[in-house]
Amino acid sequence: MKSAALPTVFIIDDDKGMRQAIEDLVESVGLRAETFASGEEFLSRRHISGPSCLVLDVRLPQMSGLDFQRRLTETGTQIPIIFITAHGDIPMSVRALKSGAVEFLTKPFRDQDLLDAIQQALQHDRAAQEQQAEIHDLRERYHTLTAREQEVMALVVSGMLNKQIASEIGASEATVKIHRGNAMHKMQAASVVDLLRMADKLKPHPRK
Amino acid sequence: MANEDVQRTLEELSRNLQESKAWLEEAQRVAHLGYWVWDLETNHLIWSDETYRIFGLTPQEGLIDLDKVREMIHPDDREAVFRTAGEAVRSGARADCEHRLFRPNGEMRIVHSLGDLKKDSSGRPYQIFGTTQDITERKRAEEALKQSQFYLSEGQRLAHMGSWASKDLGIRWSHDLGIYWSDEVYKIYGLDPQNGPPNLEQFLAAVHPDDRASMAETVRVMHEQCGGCDVIHRIVRPDGEVRYVRCVGVPVFEDGVFKTFHGTTIDVTEHERLTQELRRERAYLTEAQSLAHIGSWATNLATRQNFHLSDETYRIHGFDPRQGPPGLERFWDTLHPEDEPWVRATLEDAVRKGMDYDIRDFRIRRADDGQVRFLRTIGHRNSAGEIGEYVGITMDITELKRAEEEREKLRQLEADLAHVNRVNMMGELAAALAHEIRQPIAASITSANACLRWLARDPPDLERARAAASRIEQDGNRAADVISRLRSFYKKGTPPKRETVDIKEIIREMTALFRTEALRHSVRIHSELHEERPHVLADGVQLQQVFMNLMLNAIEAMKDSGGELTITSRPNPEGQLVVSISDTGVGLPADSAERIFDAFHTTKPQGTGMGLAITRSIVEAHGGHVWATANQGAGATFHFTLPAKAGTRA
Repeated sequence: MKSAALPTVFIIDDDKGMRQAIEDLVESVGLRAETFASGEEFLSRRHISGPSCLVLDVRLPQMSGLDFQRRLTETGTQIPIIFITAHGDIPMSVRALKSGAVEFLTKPFRDQDLLDAIQQALQHDRAAQEQQAEIHDLRERYHTLTAREQEVMALVVSGMLNKQIASEIGASEATVKIHRGNAMHKMQAASVVDLLRMADKLKPHPRK
Repeated sequence: MANEDVQRTLEELSRNLQESKAWLEEAQRVAHLGYWVWDLETNHLIWSDETYRIFGLTPQEGLIDLDKVREMIHPDDREAVFRTAGEAVRSGARADCEHRLFRPNGEMRIVHSLGDLKKDSSGRPYQIFGTTQDITERKRAEEALKQSQFYLSEGQRLAHMGSWASKDLGIRWSHDLGIYWSDEVYKIYGLDPQNGPPNLEQFLAAVHPDDRASMAETVRVMHEQCGGCDVIHRIVRPDGEVRYVRCVGVPVFEDGVFKTFHGTTIDVTEHERLTQELRRERAYLTEAQSLAHIGSWATNLATRQNFHLSDETYRIHGFDPRQGPPGLERFWDTLHPEDEPWVRATLEDAVRKGMDYDIRDFRIRRADDGQVRFLRTIGHRNSAGEIGEYVGITMDITELKRAEEEREKLRQLEADLAHVNRVNMMGELAAALAHEIRQPIAASITSANACLRWLARDPPDLERARAAASRIEQDGNRAADVISRLRSFYKKGTPPKRETVDIKEIIREMTALFRTEALRHSVRIHSELHEERPHVLADGVQLQQVFMNLMLNAIEAMKDSGGELTITSRPNPEGQLVVSISDTGVGLPADSAERIFDAFHTTKPQGTGMGLAITRSIVEAHGGHVWATANQGAGATFHFTLPAKAGTRA
């Protein structure tokens, strides 16, 4: 299973000393860390597997941390971000947090504050990843259904009885029952209620 | 009988003869005319009694020798008299001459002598019979007349005044009737008296074309109404020169009947030019007063009477010039109520003491439009005049004052700006510095945390802990480097600029910049600058900053007490210029005097602690050094040295 992969903390800071110190701190609590000097470097070398989070310096050369955060959102990359800054002000932190940052820490920060934020972020990401994995699983199962079975499943989920479905698709009630049984089986649904929950998860609703 | 008759006849004849002789004598006496008989043989003369008198002699002298006569004739006339006589003897023509003679008492007489030659039957001249008339009185009267005529014409010439008379003007004048011009009139008109006075046409032709019509009209009116005239007109002389002439004429009546015009013609060119010049000067003065907003006046403060106000004075006070000088009371009325008491007191005091006065910055409400104006008035006592007489000027200084206020505001703004700039610069520097230093510090804290965690492991991971500790060291050094970089900011940060800077000029600028700031805190700034070697090789802007820092510090040190800020400069034996900025303020902090130049060390609530650090940095970059000493009395003195400009060292 993919969720078994080691959680990784990505660190982006243009200050090498800071980068190394955070990496060392993260590793001292048994987490994996990867460091990057800039956002661009992260994007080019990124290979995320397993739960992860980003420790991001606000002031970066070329693209600032906040711009980088926006860029990630735009490309649909979902990763919890912990901002760190050497001279943060309140409007900046508010903006960062509104854009979905987990935490906003001012250098120098208490090590425990950073580690707590990392834990929280990883937990958040782990949950998100598990959910993502389940949906992925369901989607694969759904794709094993025939077109007729998918059609019947949609009508079942919409609350129609077998007889109604039969008249809707122009087939016998017995045929509907077979399609329905196949769909339930392929989707590994224990009950109609279970199937209903799965269908709901399959519906595309982007996370805001 | 016959004898008796003869006797009687003789007596009668004798009486008649005596009578005739007496009459002749009488006639001679009345006419101052004597006769004489010159015997050419003996050169003796027989004189009548009157002749004796004329020569200042008496008949008792008897016969007169010709030599005596010669002696008595004026030496200058002698030759002429005898030449005339010789001429008469030769030609037989009548001798006629005027000559002078001296009486024995020295009195000079002028005589007119006539002589006729007598010849005997053979035609030989033997005698001259002549008369001598004393014409001294007549001559003197003639002389006096000539003299008085000379004086008159000379007087006219000197006065450029001629006189004229005319029986009539106008039509008949053109026929050249009854006109008399004195020589001076001809001279004024540049005409030749030989040609006689001009007729009306000729006269008008001499008048300047622009004045001709009005002059013709004047003549016409005089003629028609038998009236006088007094006009100034221009004439053009034959040589083209234009002169101003004043012509005054009066009609003369006899028994109510018009007889003639008498008049004078005066060349008033100089007067007219002076008048015009005066008018022009007055216009210039008025213009100048109006431009400068300065009015002049003459007044008597004791009698409260204004004699004279220039146009601008009227304008300044808003009075109407057409109404003439208003009384002093009206001036009091225009005074601003707040200023009236002291202005009045000052004036009254000046009058009492007979002193000049200068009253500045008082307000009036202008009489015409009610505007409040600021004035300054200077009065000088007229010592030649009566008590309380003053002449002076009044200036409207409203605009001046406004401009000054503007300037003051600007100066204040500049000073504020300089202060803000300094604070801003410090703020930015501090922010940049904070970031630069915070980075390695944050890194080292984090590394320290990591290090502790490696050590807290069971078993402790010493390798990782050592690596973390090593990083802490590196970051610590990095922080130190930042500070070093800052220290050498002025040394290495910008390429050093070295130009010839006049230190006096910088001090003057900075003094001007801080004048308002200093005034606000009752601080007086003065400088005692060494005259020689005011030039140093330096970065002018940085040097300004040094002065700014030290002067601001000095003012701040005295802001509650006020005091004196003294800037001195003098050369030291090493050939450097030592500048000292001294205050009488709170003095150096007792506990941290040696740290005042350190960065971020401050004793002031709002201080950045950078002023003196930067000062030291700049001064040292210029090859000088800076130090502080406590004053004997109150306050502190900051000194710094600067190398004098090469070559200026004597």
